[in-house]
Amino acid sequence: MADPSAKQTGQKSVKIAAGAVVCVESDIRGDVTIGARTVVHPKARIIAEAGPIVIGEGNLIEEQALIINSFPENLLPNTDDVEPKPMIIGVNNVFEVGCVCQALKIGDNNVIESKADVGRSVMLTCVCVCVCVCVCAADVGRSVMLTSGCIVGSCCQIHTCEVIPENTVIYGSECLRRVQTERPQPQTLQLDFLMKILPNYHHLKKTVKSSGTPARS
Amino acid sequence: MATLLQPEKVLYLVRGEKKIRVPLSQLYFCRYCSELRSLECVSHEVDSHFCPSCLENMPSAEAKLKKNRCANCFDCPCCMHTLSTRATNIPAPLPDDPTKTTMKKAYYLACGFCRWTSRDVGMADKSVASGGWQEPENPHTQRINKLIEYYQQLAQREKLERDRKKMARRRPFMPQAFSQHTIHVVEKYGLGTRLQRQRSGAPISALYGLSLKEGEDQKEITIEPAQALDEVEPLPEDYYTRPVNLPEVTTLRQRLLQPDFQPAGASQLHPRHKHLLMKRSLRCRKCEHNLSKPEFNPTSIRFKIQLVAVSYIPEVRIMSIPNLRHMKESQVLLTLTNPVENITHVSLYTCEEEDPDDINSTAKVLVPSKELVLAGKDAAAEYDELAEPQGFQDDPDVVAFRKSNKIGFFIKVIPQQEEGDVTVAFKLRHDFRNLAAPIRPTEEGETTAEAIWLTHHVELSLGPLAT
Repeated sequence: MADPSAKQTGQKSVKIAAGAVVCVESDIRGDVTIGARTVVHPKARIIAEAGPIVIGEGNLIEEQALIINSFPENLLPNTDDVEPKPMIIGVNNVFEVGCVCQALKIGDNNVIESKADVGRSVMLTCVCVCVCVCVCAADVGRSVMLTSGCIVGSCCQIHTCEVIPENTVIYGSECLRRVQTERPQPQTLQLDFLMKILPNYHHLKKTVKSSGTPARS
Repeated sequence: MATLLQPEKVLYLVRGEKKIRVPLSQLYFCRYCSELRSLECVSHEVDSHFCPSCLENMPSAEAKLKKNRCANCFDCPCCMHTLSTRATNIPAPLPDDPTKTTMKKAYYLACGFCRWTSRDVGMADKSVASGGWQEPENPHTQRINKLIEYYQQLAQREKLERDRKKMARRRPFMPQAFSQHTIHVVEKYGLGTRLQRQRSGAPISALYGLSLKEGEDQKEITIEPAQALDEVEPLPEDYYTRPVNLPEVTTLRQRLLQPDFQPAGASQLHPRHKHLLMKRSLRCRKCEHNLSKPEFNPTSIRFKIQLVAVSYIPEVRIMSIPNLRHMKESQVLLTLTNPVENITHVSLYTCEEEDPDDINSTAKVLVPSKELVLAGKDAAAEYDELAEPQGFQDDPDVVAFRKSNKIGFFIKVIPQQEEGDVTVAFKLRHDFRNLAAPIRPTEEGETTAEAIWLTHHVELSLGPLAT
């Protein structure tokens, strides 16, 4: 359910670009910007605690996905020394059902499969595919950066402090890695279908222009 | 607690060639010998071969020809998952008019788990959905085939010589052709007759069925011996200094799954055809009756003959364990389930001193001395809400509860050792009505089969002592 206590000030608000489809049942808190052609399913959670989240275009965020910009675990939330770091997510990413993503920088064309757990310090560059990963334990060591084209497979946990190079596939119970030769295709067909079908069954949050006053349905 | 229901907690002893302690769910019961049988004291026979992904049946001869691999399905060389065929549309020039392009379907293999595609190793897309994919040919095939032929011939010659020697010892008027039809000669590179095969643990030769057919002309085959080389190819100069490209290096498992090539680089990992699985039937070694015979259809998981132990022998399961303390008596609650439809009488006995079967127990156990009566299994009883009380007089000290064909009863356990897991053992004696044996023509009115008493040695592992 949408958080009723989100502040309406310019700082902490949800800005949804025109053309994005964001269901009302999704839980978006804090300063979140969602780009055009992005689809956010119901029960997805995007929580900007320790800084803003900027989500690019053409992303697909499925149910029970958790994208959270949280405080590092050894710092209290009330510490003023912490500078809010923005979490930047690129275009054409897919966050499948039940994944958890805390990485501060995610590039383009990545796929984080079901129940994957990408830590804070991971940076997915281009085209990563995160195979589904089972997230049960608390997050530890979130300094990953996903570049582009990476695929983090189901139930894989990435809690290392590193930049995942492009076109990496992380799969298997031991998080084996390999490099694939081509990037995963952007899910345009899926996005088009969802953008047509979801409004038939769900109420959507109102989109705003990026400079306009924030408003939520 | 679900951990108490694990099958490994209760083991039954099988007195076969070896004494094996196995949970009842993994045992078979020969109702002709009236004994428990485990997988090690039965003979396994191959029924049929089938592919696990396309479920296609294959006769054994064809399977042998194709080296036990499916013709249609492939395995990912990277993660051993089954590959699926995907199609893309590529623009291709029309054959009539080279300037116009039309969309043509191109197929490639892709793995859903690790995202490997056939394009990764440079295999071109095929225009047919199936049948276009070829496995790379082993460069040593010719040499291997020649060696196999040579050894086949050698084996045949040795067999004839052995027969001739046996013939010389026999009486002279034995017909010459007898040796060809004798069934007692073991082929050197072949599987022996069923008489030889029944020995447990006998290794099956890998070159099964290689003997030449009788009547083939015996052409002399010679092979050149393998040449030993003095010079070995030197390592490249930067072998020790070149940084390792980890994604390119194949793992040992990936490498050894392709023993022909054993590629060191991931870009040479070609997909292989999927291995066939087989359905096997089990046969008791003593009485030669089938214990387990699956249905021929690969899609069917049922059995034509299924003589499993859980449908004949009452099963003991642990229900609850209190805190076990050293040298203190505690009550453990067990359940006993009756799998057959008639009433079963069960008695429990403690193992005697110096029982040769009782090697693992670390605690003393006191079992109920009275006979326990179990009601028959009634399939319709679960739907009958107004079930009549069964009318069994149960001693509340012994029997905790009774529910259709199951009772819960107490045993007293006194751990004897201060540390380690508590294991107890006792003997379970029950009556078994053998419906398989032919009923002797009895006087009118007697329809029940004779009951025989079977005794099993049961071991329970009750876990560690409470701290």
